[in-house]
Amino acid sequence: MVTETVTMMDPSGLKAIGAALAVGLTGFASAYAEKEIGTAAIGAMAENESLFGKGLILTVIPETIVIFGLVVALLML
Amino acid sequence: MRLLQKFKRGYGSGSKGHTNYAYTIPRVRAMKSKLLPKETYPRLMNMSIDEITRFIGESGYKEDVDELALTYEGVDLIEHSLNRNLSVTFRKLLNISEGEVNFLISEYVKEYDIWNIKTIFRGKYCRASTKEILESLVAGGTLTYTFLSSLAGKEVEDVISEFEGTEYYPILKNYNGTNLSDVENQLDKLYYAGLFAVAGGSKSKDRKLFAKFIRAGIDIKNLMILFRLKRAGITDPQMIGIMIEGGLEIEPKDIQKLMPLSFEEFIEELDNYSYWKEISDLVNPGMQSLIDVETRLKKYRLKSAASFSHVYPLSIVPIMDYMLTKQNEVNNLRIIVRGKAANLSDEVIREQLVI
Repeated sequence: MVTETVTMMDPSGLKAIGAALAVGLTGFASAYAEKEIGTAAIGAMAENESLFGKGLILTVIPETIVIFGLVVALLML
Repeated sequence: MRLLQKFKRGYGSGSKGHTNYAYTIPRVRAMKSKLLPKETYPRLMNMSIDEITRFIGESGYKEDVDELALTYEGVDLIEHSLNRNLSVTFRKLLNISEGEVNFLISEYVKEYDIWNIKTIFRGKYCRASTKEILESLVAGGTLTYTFLSSLAGKEVEDVISEFEGTEYYPILKNYNGTNLSDVENQLDKLYYAGLFAVAGGSKSKDRKLFAKFIRAGIDIKNLMILFRLKRAGITDPQMIGIMIEGGLEIEPKDIQKLMPLSFEEFIEELDNYSYWKEISDLVNPGMQSLIDVETRLKKYRLKSAASFSHVYPLSIVPIMDYMLTKQNEVNNLRIIVRGKAANLSDEVIREQLVI
């Protein structure tokens, strides 16, 4: 008699991978967007220091992307 | 990161490295926002020369006025401050840009190299003193002030040999002491030939836009030359030699067609070009002065450059637009100051301003 062993991946492991992807990829996306906006803000600030406040706010706006990723990850786990 | 940059550098033929638009364009835009607003010019018109000196000494020209105030005064102080500021600004543009854009800007500012070479030769031609030549140099191009000022004191032959190995040498070596205007014309043509060699035939977006921008400028220059020729009654087809080839709308065959026409016929023919709607209300066969038309054409050039820069925000165009606007600001200030020093009426000065 042949016995068949079925291997199943632990669902919690898959969840963890999904959560990692959600945070990791959105992290890359935020970083890329912030890099572009950050350089633009530095460029403008080099000429006009009063743009510091606006530049700072605009630079951190893409941070929302990774926060959404984090929320999704937390919901998954 | 270095690997990535290497990859980018290798990508695309003729590319001179990565262009950091995200940094350069906002910085140039911030620089543009610091230029004098239009409302300033009527105020400047009501000021005396000393008041204007003080005004520009408190604006973007502070450093230049402070530095030169020891050496010059009055109109000369303003004139030299403006020149110094212009060259510092263009050099700064070269310093803050990189890659393709840097290369294209350096091609564009060769206009000042040629200007300086001409200044030196003209100075030598009319036996001006070294000091006089030095005062007229505007080191806004790729040649440094140190190099140019070292040439000012030399004899013509030595100046020519200093340029050995550069693109200017084949033209300059033909200078024999009498054919200055020929050499100057050839230098100007070399400038445009250089621009087209850079921009022509390339598939890069920047170079295409650069070419379009330059060609639109050539159209305006050609139109002004044609207006002047026609107003003076010159219909000789041989004069085509002084026109610049490569315009966007006015092509060589159009110039050939326009050249033998009289002023009245020329005006009628202009109706076929898009520039006509900009100047139609000013042009009539009996017009005495071309100042209005020229000012309007320059204004149109600035306006179209500004709107062009909004269409292509992340490209070379906003930088070119800034350079044009800066040159115009310096010109306007110079017109006001020189006009006031020569006791011209406000009306005459206002006609000349491009605002």
